[in-house]
Formats: sequence, C-alpha cells, structure tokens
Amino acid sequence: MANIEDLKEEAKKLLREGKVKYIIGYGAGTNGWPAAPLFIKKHEDVDKLVWNPTCVHNLVRFLVDEKRRKARQKQPDKRPVGIMVKGCDSRAVVVLLQEKFIDRNDVYILGVSCGKTGVVDDAKLSKKMGGKKAKKVEVDAQDRFVVTTEEGTVEAAAEELLAERCLECKANFPVIYDVLSGEKTKRPLDKPFGSLEKIESLSAAERWSFWKEQLDKCIRCYACRSACPMCYCDECVVDSINLAVTADTTADEKAQRIRWVQRSAESSENLIYHLVRAIHLAGRCIDCGECERACPLDIPLRFLNKKLEKEAKELFGYEVGFDSALPALISSFRDEDPQDFIR
Amino acid sequence: MAEDYEPRIVAFLCKWCSSAGSDLAGVSRMEYPPNVVPIQVMCSGSVSPLYIFSAFNKGADGVLVSGCHPGDCHYIKGNYYARRRLNLVKKLLEYIGLEPQRFQMSWISAAEGTKYTQIIKNFVKELKPLGPQTKMRRNP
Repeated sequence: MANIEDLKEEAKKLLREGKVKYIIGYGAGTNGWPAAPLFIKKHEDVDKLVWNPTCVHNLVRFLVDEKRRKARQKQPDKRPVGIMVKGCDSRAVVVLLQEKFIDRNDVYILGVSCGKTGVVDDAKLSKKMGGKKAKKVEVDAQDRFVVTTEEGTVEAAAEELLAERCLECKANFPVIYDVLSGEKTKRPLDKPFGSLEKIESLSAAERWSFWKEQLDKCIRCYACRSACPMCYCDECVVDSINLAVTADTTADEKAQRIRWVQRSAESSENLIYHLVRAIHLAGRCIDCGECERACPLDIPLRFLNKKLEKEAKELFGYEVGFDSALPALISSFRDEDPQDFIR
Repeated sequence: MAEDYEPRIVAFLCKWCSSAGSDLAGVSRMEYPPNVVPIQVMCSGSVSPLYIFSAFNKGADGVLVSGCHPGDCHYIKGNYYARRRLNLVKKLLEYIGLEPQRFQMSWISAAEGTKYTQIIKNFVKELKPLGPQTKMRRNP
C-alpha cells in the first residue's frame, strides 16, 4: 500500500489554489472499519484522507452524480473535481471518458497504487475474525494484512483476506492519473478468470439451479444499479416510471406503454433485470465489485459481469478500461469476429 | 413430453434479406412448420438483447435472429454489430443455464427461401425434445 503523503500535499495545493472544486477521497469510517467516502472542500481537511485496505468503494460513481448536479445548475462551477482512484476505479474513469460521458478536464485524478496487495473482503474478514470487531486494517512491509481489534492484532496473508476481484486484478495501479502515489507494480496473474471456473464446470442444469437460487433472492432494491459507476442511463428499462405523463397523455397511452420488465420481484423478472444489466455492462464493467458489495442479499453479481468480460477477451480480444481512445466493445466490430454459432 | 407439443419460435427477421427470404419461401409455396412468429425489424443490428430476453419472458420456446450475410447488409455494417452483440447474448444465456438450442442466429439472403424453411424445420426439430421453455417465462 502506497504512502499518500505526497498525494495529500498535492491535494492541499489544489484546494488552496482553487484548482479543483472539491476532492472525493476516503476518510476514516465512523465504525472503525471500513473507510468511508469523504468530500473535502477546504485544504485544512486534507489530512483526514486515509488510504488502507478498507478503501473498498469505487468513488467514480460520484462523478456521475456530479455531472447530473452540474446539468441542473444554471451557472455551474466548471472547475474539475479531484478524485482518489485505485487501479480498478481508474479504469472506470477510462470507460466514462471512452463513452464521452465526462471530459478529461472535468476531473483531476489522484491515483493511488494498491502495491502488491489490494482491498479486503468484508465477508472474508469477519470470518477470519470470528465475531471480533476489526478496528483497523493495515498492510505491513511484507504485504501481510494486520488487523487491529480491541484485544490485539491478528496477522494474515494477503491472499487470505483480499477481495476476490483483487486476486484477479490485471493492474493494481491507476492506468490514468494526474498524480500517482505509489509504484506501478504488477502481481503475476496466472488465472485472470479463475473464480469463474467453479460455475463454468457445472452442467447446464446445475448452472440454472445455481442462478435461479441466487436471483430468486433479489428484492429489486436496485442497490447494484445505484452503486455502479457505469449504470448512468437517465432512463432505466426496468423502471416503469419512464413514460413522460403530461396533461395530454391519455389513459390508453398510459396503459399501452411497454413494460419490458415487471417491477415485482418474481424470479422471471429478476432474471431479465440481471441479464439486461449484465449485457449493458458487457465491455464496460471494470470489475470494481461495487454491485456485489452493495447487494443486501449477497447475490454473486460479479460472476455475471466477469463472465462477459471473459467472453469479450476470448472472443474479441477486448480488454476494458485501458485505453479511452479505443471504440467500445459493442460499438465496434472486426471482420474476423467469430461466427461459428450462426447458421 | 406430450406428443402434440408444438414449440413457439419468435423470429426477428431483417427487412432487407431474411424477411424477403421468408417471403420467397411463402410465395414459392414451400412447406415449413407453422411454429414461427416472424417479426420484421429494419436490421439485425437493431435487435436489442432485450427483445430476445423479452421474447423468452413472454413465452417463446425459441428465438431466431436472422440478418443479411456479412457484407450484404443494407446499412453496410449492421449485421456485424449484431454478430458481436448477439454472440455475447448467446454466451450469457448458456451461462445462466438456458439450453443453447433455444437461441439461434442465421444469415438468410432474400434469395434463400429454401434455407429459411430448412432453418425453421431444424429449429423446430431441436426444440421439440426440450419441451416448453419455463425458465425465463413470466408467470401468467
């Protein structure tokens, strides 16, 4: 884990000189673990920034909110927003730039490298602690996790507590940044899609029962959608409130509007919702794991997105989030794209 | 499985090739199973994955998307986009455990009436042993 003193200096300078509107970063959580998103407007608050393995959130979502807020203002403050990004989050910024959702001048990127480790997994941590509450999670010089509790410290190997996505991370450092804290280290990665093997090895019937059981749990709270930095459509296909109802709208028009997906949390509708989401994120999901983390029912949503990431890589040689000048996966094609499935 | 089970197929046919191909099959009085509901779309590239999910959701046993042969698209490259996008849809449907035979894609030109009948015949033959599609179907 990188030391962010240099980054704090830069942040102070930016705020003092008024070069950024505010800085989105990580601050200490109110409950010991984990860190929480922090918005800094004054340079004297910069010291509240923290950087440790509990900085799990993808703050890029706030850039989407910022754009919406700016669109509503009559005279918006055009200065960029400073944002602290990890490797995965920086790829989210790249995708937003690629899709021209944000402009490079809208954002000042404070990159932090995860070094040789990454962020902790909440579930793995609580299992390891066996009910004891973690107060602090740090990484020592040997890249081992040190968890501090009321009763002392517990050490654990990085692999034991790292989030699944971090174990499959292609680059644990930001690919785009204005300032970078830490080194660009790459961890050797022999199985970039290893976590999928378990599901892929199942038979079709077993896969179906797995996904049915998982998606039946969904209560359609749309937390996955809210947490996702890529889910920024103004109108979502699953909302039945899209129809612009004016005084002229007839009852007939209201009744006839297309309901692609019902809002009720039935298994067929949940399935359609999650399939649509997976397809919409094909070639866009940067595997930050926010959907899965936000899910109150622990649906392994990451496996849906990861599968499409894998297919995009294997079928089309497309890697998401490394080059904002490349065309997006499904708005481009190549003559030699596979078509063995077509009759 | 009941002997008299007849699968329902929703076919998204592009206006310029596949739909004309199915027309040709019709005016040439070629025989093919009546299980298919053709829906004309302007281009196979305009078929949103949602159309396919929605067709299954509303009770289709199989979905066919058909467009012009590569290089023949009326809009130059619509079918190339479709090929890429629907490949992902196919992989995703297989991944969640839907039978792979239920979603098919084909290239049918305006002159290939015979190919159209052949594809529908094969499709029906493959769907019959699978029985009704209930996985994605909305409860009535």
